Amino acid sequence: MLEVLASNPPGVFHWLVLSSLLFSIGVYGMLSRRNAIGVLMGVELALNSGALNFVLFNRLLAPATVDGEVMSIFIVTVAAAEAVVGMAIFVLLFKQMKTVDMTQASQMRH
Amino acid sequence: MIWSKATGTLLFYLFAVVSVALAIATVSSRRILRAAVYLMGVLAVTAGFYLLLGAPFLAGVQILVYVGGIVVLIVYVVMLTRSSDLAEDKPSAARKSTALLAALASFVLAVTVFKSSESAFRGAGSQAATMLIDDTAMIGRALLDRGPRGYVLPFELVSLLLLAVVIGGITLARKIQVDQSAAPKESSDGGVANA
Repeated sequence: MLEVLASNPPGVFHWLVLSSLLFSIGVYGMLSRRNAIGVLMGVELALNSGALNFVLFNRLLAPATVDGEVMSIFIVTVAAAEAVVGMAIFVLLFKQMKTVDMTQASQMRH
Repeated sequence: MIWSKATGTLLFYLFAVVSVALAIATVSSRRILRAAVYLMGVLAVTAGFYLLLGAPFLAGVQILVYVGGIVVLIVYVVMLTRSSDLAEDKPSAARKSTALLAALASFVLAVTVFKSSESAFRGAGSQAATMLIDDTAMIGRALLDRGPRGYVLPFELVSLLLLAVVIGGITLARKIQVDQSAAPKESSDGGVANA
């Protein structure tokens, strides 16, 4: 048992399938949620899997450098910025319309 | 050595199962506040993945910024907008199936690409996960390095972005007083009497 586990470390394919699975779940959340905050949660999931991929390729292809990690830090920063502005917009939307339902906020569609 | 390798493999599969289950709970939970808690779980487990990949500084950043910052912000806004008692998030069947189709398509496309390009990475990272480098010092040097491989310009640009976000967030979400102060001026000529 121990030998089997030790001799079969997760390869690049396992990591990539994991992060693309998380990304797909994020895409599902983005498209299926009606609550605007739920949509933003889907976006966060997708961004998170992207950052995971950057660290993974950093470790796999150039383990002595930290370029991928720096990219991940930038992704985290931009995700935080995006969340702050999104939340401000949602609060504003709630003040104006008394709801954060995406299907109701359609004045600019036409 | 064999113990640490076996533990690493075991932890990877454990974290993978937990994170995927929590992610599915995040997007399918009816109550948005619970979804926020599940999202926090996904982000915390991702910090565990960073530790497995040998990036402890990034794991710390992940916990500090995501779990300590963004999720708390999400919880605040859920409460400010009364989402928890307004919208029991019930998407229609058509919306659900479209989203499922898009998600499946993206997953299948990604896995197909990985399968067809797998030979390119073969042997690339068998020793990678066990290797632990002092990433905090290296990230610090890379961020402030003014040379051709440094990131000082993106670093400054990101701080500019954060400044813009702070100002933008305050501007958007502050109390709108323009309507209340402008309305009496326009409506009545007897503003002097009020004053």
